[in-house]
Amino acid sequence: MNLRRLAYALVLAGCGTGAHAFTIEYSLDRPAPLVACDKQLYRGARADAMACYRKLIVDSTDNRIKADAARASGDARGANGFFQVAIKDYPQDARVRTRWGELFLATHQNSEAAKLFQEALEQDPKYAPAMLGLAKVAASGFEEKTREYAKKVIDEAPDQAVGAHLLLARAALEDGAIDAGDKEIDKALELVKKHDFSPLEAYALKASVDLLRGTTDSPWTKRALALNAGYGEAYATPAYFYVITRRYREAIDLLNKAVEVEPDLYSAHTELGVNLLRENRIDEAQQHLAIAYRGDPFSAPVVNTLRLIDSFSNFVVLRHEPDTKPGSVPNKGSLLRLHKKEAPVIEPYVLDLVNRTIATYTKRYGFELKEPVVVELYPQHDDFAVRTSGLPGIGLLGVTFGYLVAMDSPARHADSDFHWGTTLWHEMAHVFTLEATRHLVPRWFSEGVSVYEEWTTGPLHGRHIPPPVLKAIKDGKFLPVAELDRGFIRPTYEQQVIVSYMQAGLTCEYVASRFGQAGLKAMLDQFGAGKDTAQAVEAALKITPAQFDKDFKAYVEQQLGTVIANYESWQHALAETSEAVRAKDWRLVAAKSAEAIELNPDFVDQGSPYIAKARAHKELKETALMTSTLLEYRKRGGYDPDALLSLATSLTEANRTDEATGVLKDVLMVAPLRTEVHSQLGDRLLAAGDAADAVVEYKALLALAPKDMADAHYRLAKAYLAAGDKTGSREHLLYALEIAPHYREAQQLLLEVVR
Amino acid sequence: MSARTHLAVLAALGAVFAAPARADLYYLVVGGLGGEAKYQEQFDKDTAAVAAVARRTAGNDHVVVLQGESATRAALVKAFDSLRTRTKPADSLAVVLIGHGSFDGDTYKFNLPGPDIDGGELKKLLGGVPARTQLVVNATSASGAVLDSWVADGRTVITATRSGFERNATRFAEVFAAALTDGAADINKNGVITAQEAFDYASRAVADSYKDKGALATEHPQLKGGGAARFMVARLGAAPSAPANPEVAALTTERERLDGEIEALKERREQMAPDAYLDQLQKLLVQLAEVQGKIDAAQGKPQ
Repeated sequence: MNLRRLAYALVLAGCGTGAHAFTIEYSLDRPAPLVACDKQLYRGARADAMACYRKLIVDSTDNRIKADAARASGDARGANGFFQVAIKDYPQDARVRTRWGELFLATHQNSEAAKLFQEALEQDPKYAPAMLGLAKVAASGFEEKTREYAKKVIDEAPDQAVGAHLLLARAALEDGAIDAGDKEIDKALELVKKHDFSPLEAYALKASVDLLRGTTDSPWTKRALALNAGYGEAYATPAYFYVITRRYREAIDLLNKAVEVEPDLYSAHTELGVNLLRENRIDEAQQHLAIAYRGDPFSAPVVNTLRLIDSFSNFVVLRHEPDTKPGSVPNKGSLLRLHKKEAPVIEPYVLDLVNRTIATYTKRYGFELKEPVVVELYPQHDDFAVRTSGLPGIGLLGVTFGYLVAMDSPARHADSDFHWGTTLWHEMAHVFTLEATRHLVPRWFSEGVSVYEEWTTGPLHGRHIPPPVLKAIKDGKFLPVAELDRGFIRPTYEQQVIVSYMQAGLTCEYVASRFGQAGLKAMLDQFGAGKDTAQAVEAALKITPAQFDKDFKAYVEQQLGTVIANYESWQHALAETSEAVRAKDWRLVAAKSAEAIELNPDFVDQGSPYIAKARAHKELKETALMTSTLLEYRKRGGYDPDALLSLATSLTEANRTDEATGVLKDVLMVAPLRTEVHSQLGDRLLAAGDAADAVVEYKALLALAPKDMADAHYRLAKAYLAAGDKTGSREHLLYALEIAPHYREAQQLLLEVVR
Repeated sequence: MSARTHLAVLAALGAVFAAPARADLYYLVVGGLGGEAKYQEQFDKDTAAVAAVARRTAGNDHVVVLQGESATRAALVKAFDSLRTRTKPADSLAVVLIGHGSFDGDTYKFNLPGPDIDGGELKKLLGGVPARTQLVVNATSASGAVLDSWVADGRTVITATRSGFERNATRFAEVFAAALTDGAADINKNGVITAQEAFDYASRAVADSYKDKGALATEHPQLKGGGAARFMVARLGAAPSAPANPEVAALTTERERLDGEIEALKERREQMAPDAYLDQLQKLLVQLAEVQGKIDAAQGKPQ
């Protein structure tokens, strides 16, 4: 046993004993005594099967059989112990390592499983079950290698390829290639029949095919349950395809049936918990996750999600009633789940943005929401990640599950330039595209509309295309529209997901520019009617997908051709600008940044040359040029909070106070936790006679506990008085003077208020 | 100490108005050896800034400033000798050390032209000054090494670093100097900056400065000792003179009485219903505002 192997043993030894997965075995080399027990399990005679496995554990002299029997009976720890002995007994047997790898796979330790499969292949490069094991590991991460490994099994050991065909079927169905998936299942079924394997898994996938084709009451489900009335996967497998196509409510219905027929199907309890949470049904979610934890304590998503639910006590839930004013856009209200520390500051801005998105999207997409929207903002990114996927460490900023939006809060990115306003704008568009189509909208279109709306109607106008995407366009990496979903679901190169976001956004921009907003609406309607992308393009736009791709390419060329052609020169100018900044040669910075801006004037994200140019003008005391540079930067969607605050200051100094107010409002969308934004904006609003909005700003300022609390109370008191609220004014004057009894201005205002 | 208790102590003792009139404040400001031009320039600038405030607050003849080549160990010892003979027990002494410090795991040293001076010697020199109320602001690197050993009855110690092992050059002196002239540091808006207010302002500014630069903070300012809230380190305006007008003198006494009542009321806040507390607070604050208005009118100040 080498050190690494010892580590494997320790990990499992520390686990509980409950990991039980009903796995259908397809290995031709599975020992006959195990196969005999398996058959009882597959036909639903669970008690008999368990007795059979236990007998093998006691009677068998082969530790390989004892290990597999222990695993099948749900004793992962016992199985691990037997594998440790078996590997000493049969050090050159690739099967031992493969079966041990399967145990690790079942207990969610994929990297350890992969190592064992690799070792098995080193011993026997043609050992098909080990290759299939690698395919399963890849499939758990939606990796393209799934196909590669599975095809290798099919090519090299076609007779042992049931599992490989089923994996390919799953992958095809995940990609929406229903016919291809169905064919793979049929190939698997032929082998199942030939070798007298259990067809349960294949039947469950057949039911999934029916579901994806719109048949919810599949005869395959009945056939599976006829073979084994307690086979919960007959429902849970199709439910999985509802989940990945974001039809969470339908998935919950099926998962409830799954645990009804198989109460200890812990994976279904996990899925139920996660999906009930997506529907904001927190108590039910917690119940199912607790059951899942009892049965499968190895599951990181279960543990993480239960911890997240516990942390909800640190959040407040703020309900906002529907707007029923005559003539207003229909709005079913909203429910905001915000962290206790952040809520007093950000609630008004979040609510305002939610209401604005509802008004905007209702009009633009002709769809009225049927339920209140739930919006959750998480100051801890890992909490948001767990909320999204059950696991920390995802690279997303926001996610939408129908009527529920979850995203990072401004506090999560207090040290960076996270434009939370745009993220919320983006996610709220998903609420509409998902609900208007009963969640049938393909991923690319939903993302495309969200990105397009960010660029056109959101709080941060302008296209924001990262440099690697420009490079990808230059390299011809855009996909045909009918295959665009693949770029999101199964990326084949680094950055493909972000490239796909941008392609989707540009595609929607193109549709809107050529066919009008009605074109986007018509496509949405087609998706709602169950059409795929090719059908939707033809029906809504009266154009073939091939022609669409050709015309879209021309559009991209027309819009971005010059920028793309200048890509290298632009990168060079950016590098020269940075070099000049390092050398503090401000005249050179101004010249080089101007060059970079000319080559790509829309680039306002991190590293934008506008910032360098503005700084150069500031250093050179060219205030007017600094202001005009920052105005152009802002106009094109620049949002660096320091740059905007600097712009607000220079506009104020130039008596352009209305413009300064607008700039400060922009800063709220990126840095609402900075005290100076609220104090400055409150002052401007109060001076402009907008006392009610000034009250909002000063309340946010107070909630941020600034250094000078007496001053913050005094400002709020002034705003209350201007808004006609003497009671509020008196209260905050008293708080100001409680801190600073000799504060002259507050003393004088108090006398004015109480006399 | 909660903010509320801190404020209560601050005003209940009436130090902010009364203390300077009863006793003298002395300042000793030392700008140490920079070693490199950029540090020397910064230390000189910080020393000059603190010295200017000290002169305005305590008066020219109560301030000793040592910097540059003249800031030697011998000169420092001599300055302490002078303070030993000049100050009375009722006086206050503020010592501000700016520059580099070092710590070898055992001994702290303040870097000066010529021989350095170590923490033990400085402690002895401080102990020899009769002024019972002392504030030492050691803004040097590694200054945290002397925090515990220098603090004493009547002596409050502020250091730029948490321990002797924070050895990088500090930013504390610069922001501490800024605190002494920035009205934003005057949290209770009485025109006077206390050691506590200056420390709060400076420590926040240090933390913000590292955060803004995205750098890991290499200094964590510390304060130890009970007198910071009562120790005036700077006056934002001109020093008030004793009122010659008997009417103003009476009003000033009345104002001090109201200050005391307000503080006593704040102490009782937790035992009172919120509305009752605010009603009583309002009554006292209105009286205070009216008295202040009369003082201002009598002194010809605009109201």
